[in-house]
Amino acid sequence: MLYWSLKTLFSEPVRLIVSALAVSVSFLLVVFFSAVFEGESDKMVIYLEKMQADVWVMQKGVSNMHMASSMLWDWKADKIAKLPFVKEVSAILYFNGPVKIGGKDWFSYIIGIKPQYQRAGPWEISKGKRIPGVGEVVIPEVISQLSGVQIGDEITLVDRPLRVIGLSRDTFSMASSVVFVSHEDLGELVKGRDQYSYIMVYANPGISSQDLIKHIKNEVDKVNALSSEDFINSDRTLAMQMGAEIISMMTIIGTLLATLIVAFTAYSLINHKQQELAVAKALGFSDGKIYIASLFQSVVITAIGLVLSIVLAYTILSWLPTVIPQVNLVVRPHQFISIASIALPIAVFASFAAVRTVIKVDPMTVFKG
Amino acid sequence: MEIDIIIKATHLSKFFGKGISEVHAVNDVSLNIKRGEMVLVMGPSGSGKTTLLSMLGALLGATSGEVSIDGLDISTMNNKELAALRATRIGFVFQSFNLLEALTVEENILFPAQLNTGGIQAAKTRLDNLLDRLGLATRRNALPNTLSGGEKQRVAIGRALINQPDIILADEPTGNLDSHKGQEVMMILHDIARDDNCAVVMVTHDPRVEEIADRVLWLEDGSLRDRKSEKHSWVKDPVCGMRVDEWTATITTEYNKQRYVFCSKRCLERFNSNSEKYKKSEK
Repeated sequence: MLYWSLKTLFSEPVRLIVSALAVSVSFLLVVFFSAVFEGESDKMVIYLEKMQADVWVMQKGVSNMHMASSMLWDWKADKIAKLPFVKEVSAILYFNGPVKIGGKDWFSYIIGIKPQYQRAGPWEISKGKRIPGVGEVVIPEVISQLSGVQIGDEITLVDRPLRVIGLSRDTFSMASSVVFVSHEDLGELVKGRDQYSYIMVYANPGISSQDLIKHIKNEVDKVNALSSEDFINSDRTLAMQMGAEIISMMTIIGTLLATLIVAFTAYSLINHKQQELAVAKALGFSDGKIYIASLFQSVVITAIGLVLSIVLAYTILSWLPTVIPQVNLVVRPHQFISIASIALPIAVFASFAAVRTVIKVDPMTVFKG
Repeated sequence: MEIDIIIKATHLSKFFGKGISEVHAVNDVSLNIKRGEMVLVMGPSGSGKTTLLSMLGALLGATSGEVSIDGLDISTMNNKELAALRATRIGFVFQSFNLLEALTVEENILFPAQLNTGGIQAAKTRLDNLLDRLGLATRRNALPNTLSGGEKQRVAIGRALINQPDIILADEPTGNLDSHKGQEVMMILHDIARDDNCAVVMVTHDPRVEEIADRVLWLEDGSLRDRKSEKHSWVKDPVCGMRVDEWTATITTEYNKQRYVFCSKRCLERFNSNSEKYKKSEK
């Protein structure tokens, strides 16, 4: 009976492909939302990752950058720089808020940098200068493409007009892009000209982050110090928590959609083959055996849909950002593992749609000429 | 001899509906059918032939009465037991062939074998013999949609025989075949009864089969009756020229206010495609 169900499925390739494609699209939907979220989460910590600091120092009680505020006196950066084991420090003033570019507000990480801490600036420039001076700003290249704002144009940071002097790469995110201004401009805005928000500490070779953290906490008052790994994880976790509900909702919607599609396909297949089911019943196949055949069809359709969704995800989702640059997509194997784990329950649940038809099929219909 | 009786029906009745709309499809039918016997069930349309066949084949429960297959009372069996009985003891041949479209000739014949002891593997030797016997050896990998009507019915017969049943129940097996193919199928079923000691019960309208049958049961208004000779009204099929009993024929048409009777749907189709020709040749 399983062989019959498989051959029946493959005897109508168009129906099979359409069904499997529909299933894969619903799976793809789940993967898409997850990929967007992962992409956005990655972008939210990209600045922290690109700085490659060993230790991040911030105001005591603060352990994040995203949605956080931290203020440290500027002399603390000098003091940390002079500590043994410290090779180099870099410091930034930071503000999380909207920047008006091309008439639209872009929610951004605004990084105020001093000329002596150039390492804290953008890591890749596509056009123009890298380090902004007073009255200048470096914006993401993607925002420039989307808004039409070019080098030399003006943008507004709160009430302060700034001239675009450079376009940075790899700094755009729908949730929070990275915009670079001078420490002086941002300092005036946040009343913190003699302050930093975060100090990045680079250790001498052979010194562990934990030793350095211990040392900093002993020598400098009212600061928190975290290894780069912990700091990034803390921000990523926060981002994931903020989007978890949305992702769960999207996963539920995608799962329901996939279930409906597989159920419809299983039902229509079994409905389409009612006469053959009647023959099977007349020949002595039990309802249970026929239902298992239907379940098997659902499993096969779901499995093909799953494989198709993986192929489509790696092709379409990799290609999509080249067409829509504002979309940050990251496709990772664990997204498919979670889809695969729901695929079997989907197939089982969807096949219930066929149960009623299987039971209802009257073997007497075999006598209808 | 009692020991030879494979099907025994006692006061078998089947009623459909209730009250004034109650229909007595089969009414108090008792019969015995022996192994190796070819029995025809004939009668006018709506006389209850298929209902009787369904009850004998454990597909339909009786309103009252009993059916025993090889001494086993099937009215006491549950659905699972009935399904197992059908799978191993009864083979079915239908008018519309009812082959599984996605499966090849070989796979169609083997399909019920998975329900039998030993499964498909054990049935493979029987398959080869059946394919040879039914003249299907060269068509074993063909799909049903590439077969002729006669070939399809032979595949259906192979499927009915693969589990070596005691009984073959055939419902109008020649109804969709032309007279030549129909004759061929009849002879196969006749040989099965004779050579395999299998009881063949066949519902048919085809009077030509009477010549090869051991017994004819005449069913009228749900009851078995003696058929009188005057019940025959022989006419000629205008297409193939075969003798057809006008009284029992179901394949008929009207053309130029005249009634025409056919031995098969195929002949009717041919008539419809060129009525003038056959009308003239009839005259």
